[in-house]
Amino acid sequence: MRDYAWRLSKNFQGEILAVPGKAIAFFFLLFLFFVPVIISNPYILRILIFASIFAIYAASWDFLSGFTGQVNFGHAVFFGVGAYATALLNLKLGLPPAATIPLGALVAVLTGLIVGIPALRLRGHYLALVTLAFPIILTGIVLAFPNFTGGELGLYGISPLSDSRVLIYYIALIVMIASVLIMWKLTDAKSTFVRTGVILHAIREDEITARASGINTTKYKLLAFCVSGFFAGIAGGLSAHFLQIAGPSNLTLFFSFQPIIWTIFGGIATIYGPVTGVYILYPLMEILRGVIPQLRMLIFALILIVVLLFMPQGITTWFRDKIEVECPRCKLTNVATRQYCRACNAPLHLEQRLEQR
Amino acid sequence: MKKGLVALLVVCLVAVALIPGCQPGPEGTIKIGVIGPMTFVQGEQHWMGATMAADEINEAGGIVVGNVTMPIELVQIDSNEMLSVPDAATAMEKAVTVDKVDFLVGGFRTEAVLAMQDTAMDHQKIFLGCGSASKEQCVRVAEDYDKYKYWFRITPINDNLLVMDSFLILDTVISVVKDELGIEEVKIALLMEKAEVGDLIVSACEHLIPAMGEDLELVGTWRPSPTATDVTAELSAIKNSGAHIIMTYFSGPVGIVYAKQWGELEIPAASAGINVEAQKMGFWDATGGKGNYETTLNQYARIEQTDKTIPFFDKFVAETGEFPTYTAGTYDALYILKDAIERAGTLDSDAVVIELENTEYFGSAGRIVFTSTETGNPHDLMWGPEYVTGIGTQWQDGELLCIWPPVDGSWNGLVYEGTVAYKVPPWVIDYWEAK
Amino acid sequence: MFANILINGAITAGIYALLALGFSLIFGVAKIINLAHTAFYMLAAYFIFTFAYFLGLSAPLSATASIIITTAIGVGTYKLVIERIREHETAVLMITIALALVFQESILLAFGSHFRSAPSFISGHVELLGVTVSIQHILTFGVVLVCLLGIWMLLSKTKLGIAIRAVAQDREIANLVGINVGTMCLITMAIAVALAAVAGAMVAPLWTIQPHMWMRPLVMVLAVVVLGGLGSLKGSFVAAFILGYTVTLVVFLFPTISFIKEAIALTIMVAVLLIRPEGLFGVAFEEERL
Repeated sequence: MRDYAWRLSKNFQGEILAVPGKAIAFFFLLFLFFVPVIISNPYILRILIFASIFAIYAASWDFLSGFTGQVNFGHAVFFGVGAYATALLNLKLGLPPAATIPLGALVAVLTGLIVGIPALRLRGHYLALVTLAFPIILTGIVLAFPNFTGGELGLYGISPLSDSRVLIYYIALIVMIASVLIMWKLTDAKSTFVRTGVILHAIREDEITARASGINTTKYKLLAFCVSGFFAGIAGGLSAHFLQIAGPSNLTLFFSFQPIIWTIFGGIATIYGPVTGVYILYPLMEILRGVIPQLRMLIFALILIVVLLFMPQGITTWFRDKIEVECPRCKLTNVATRQYCRACNAPLHLEQRLEQR
Repeated sequence: MKKGLVALLVVCLVAVALIPGCQPGPEGTIKIGVIGPMTFVQGEQHWMGATMAADEINEAGGIVVGNVTMPIELVQIDSNEMLSVPDAATAMEKAVTVDKVDFLVGGFRTEAVLAMQDTAMDHQKIFLGCGSASKEQCVRVAEDYDKYKYWFRITPINDNLLVMDSFLILDTVISVVKDELGIEEVKIALLMEKAEVGDLIVSACEHLIPAMGEDLELVGTWRPSPTATDVTAELSAIKNSGAHIIMTYFSGPVGIVYAKQWGELEIPAASAGINVEAQKMGFWDATGGKGNYETTLNQYARIEQTDKTIPFFDKFVAETGEFPTYTAGTYDALYILKDAIERAGTLDSDAVVIELENTEYFGSAGRIVFTSTETGNPHDLMWGPEYVTGIGTQWQDGELLCIWPPVDGSWNGLVYEGTVAYKVPPWVIDYWEAK
Repeated sequence: MFANILINGAITAGIYALLALGFSLIFGVAKIINLAHTAFYMLAAYFIFTFAYFLGLSAPLSATASIIITTAIGVGTYKLVIERIREHETAVLMITIALALVFQESILLAFGSHFRSAPSFISGHVELLGVTVSIQHILTFGVVLVCLLGIWMLLSKTKLGIAIRAVAQDREIANLVGINVGTMCLITMAIAVALAAVAGAMVAPLWTIQPHMWMRPLVMVLAVVVLGGLGSLKGSFVAAFILGYTVTLVVFLFPTISFIKEAIALTIMVAVLLIRPEGLFGVAFEEERL
């Protein structure tokens, strides 16, 4: 037992504290856990709750589009289906949030299959542009059956996640961390116990070679649609219970663009990139609302253009490259300020390598 | 490195602490939040109506609370509700917990108002609705009085009453059309945007029009989207149907498209109903004058609904260059609130709610009394000849004139001074005379 | 009713075709999916409004001025922004959305969200096969045909057109035979934006002008272009007719659900793509390896 704890702490020191990116992520999460202790203002908690919900949403887009290259322009469909299904289960069957959110997410998985199967026949831009149609078609269905879906008013009177804002905060935060960790593990190409990461990478880099190596690429792409749908559905369900309303505004064109923007800003094909993107951009938008509400969207769009032009890999990758350096010999990640690798003592920077020679 | 991390943590903390940007207002003011889609016309009108009232009240000294007089401080809150419902609820929470407003007025889009209502009620803040017509908001008051009692609707009349008013206007138009066209049997086409109120009117029409008399026939129902950009196909089909009257409901931009194409194509049917865009001064230019003879249910026109209407109307036009529409009802909302606070002698929400329930106020658009807690929809507007009625207005050669209650006094003998007769567009008369 | 469907469908198809033409062209040549295409259409409409209302210019003069300015803006944004990341196709998608948002917000700041209107070239209406049609609608349809013919002439009869087609077919080879690929893309972008501006000049008087007016047409433009096959002008034209007639049929046959006419058109698009994943006239995908 003590041995295990010792190894855990050693691991913690070696795997997390020594790698700046992971260390920052760790301390940021730690910080998020203590926010309600420091601040009790429900407004700030609300912003952070939405940030958690949208972090799941954005990461789920990245999981599908960043990792398999299947650019989805209609991601709102999954979020919306999750929200509507959750709302209906709660309102019509009276199920509690603990049941409605996972069930709602399963309905979103089903949607993932419905959207994914035809989408797989399409390639490249066709897929991107066709996925754009799905939320609009779904909006049509929602409006055509107002007795069931509430029409343009949406479904309201959904029971709250909890009466305590702090509790809601922790629910959203923990669900967010769990979802993001699962998606991150599933996409981790270095992982030894799930193969999906390395397969998804292979599909994105060269689908034909992947297929030639005996990988059923269709199966894995469909899996990506389902997993992505599941987590976007979770986000939609959380949002429905938190806002206590699920309406067609969940299905707008702009709401489909949102996760793309967050992901591009944060860094595509990373999972942590979109999460960072949301945690920076969403509160930033709120600050701008207070300062210069008229210029909010303009600034938002300009930031996006600047990032795309000058940091096409996204802000996290750009920042990580500034603070981390990979050891050229043993491939271990080091703090950029180090001269020599912490494990094998090889010189990390080109100048030193030249000097040594 | 550790130092760096500590520094980072401090930066995060400071950033979070700065978000609210807490600026406590000057002591002894009453903070009223005006919440609405501020980048849209509806929100602009919320703000204009409220600033006019606040300036007037402050010039007169302020609001007497017990034995102190306090000025009003308005806080503008952009809900962004047209684009995002989460934003609207967040904006509401910011207003209450960060800006620390005492009362709220505004709200427009129903889906967003329901979410904002929940947030305001959670914080037990009085929220005077000035834009959404959904009866549901008041039904909630009946269902859970303790939670929702802080909600009141100042404008417009609720959706069921909007349907009622539409029918009354239709009735007036039918009688004029019969006279002018010299016909006995009138065919009516429904062109109603896909929206909740539209659904209500359509189902009401499908039941009521056949029941209203042998001489009325419903020839068809067309339901374009609120944001449709083209309704020529619909208009073409309506012309084919042989309709004499198009009964409309439009709350979105499609209202402008409709009026423009209806006038351009000279569709031979008189138009009557609700067209929110036609309530605005910009309507005439937006349709390039093609919207002449378009008719809409309205809240304001330059007629004497009460002795306050014309002074309010003129001042509003002079200050803003716009006609007031129903979201400018924030003007009345502030006065109603002022009276209730003065009667209660305190800013305490619960005490003010009790006084608001006793409101009897001659506002800019009629006598405002709230429905009682005995009804199924408390805190809603009372409607009728002695209360708020709503008016029918028609564009006649660049001017927006009142045509309902009818000039002949056939509706409960009520005629507002300045009312004119409904005009059937000349091309409609020409077309049917040629037949 | 048949005549109504025939004529109203053609009119709708004409508008879709005009909006989609430029979009299809720039994709065909430079492989740029320009989601800001309808935003240029919006800009053109606002320039016309400005010239007509604030400077009092006549409709054709405002339209001409507006087309020139919009094209200049289009070329400027291409040079400053799009060209730098032209090779990254997904990045182009994103950046053109961002550009569209920049245009929308700038217009919102300058003009507010009020609805505006542009003057028609010729007002009034005529009877065609017993159907009332506004002259502006007929004019729009004529302009579509002229634009199509013009583009076709340009591409098939001129040296410039042949160079543009060469770039569209194989960029490397075109480069090898001495065609300046960058200039060709720039010229095509200019033509595409000019076509969007022409659409603005023709369609804006029929509809209303407001800062969010680009979103709804964008969806239909994408549907037309995808259904027709990306980059195929002929395909776009045929698809515009299919979708134009679809929405018109919905209005005439199922009037009570005409609010979902676009959703129905999109469903048809998805259904067709299930059978032909490359669109009606698109080139079938070869599984290229880079």
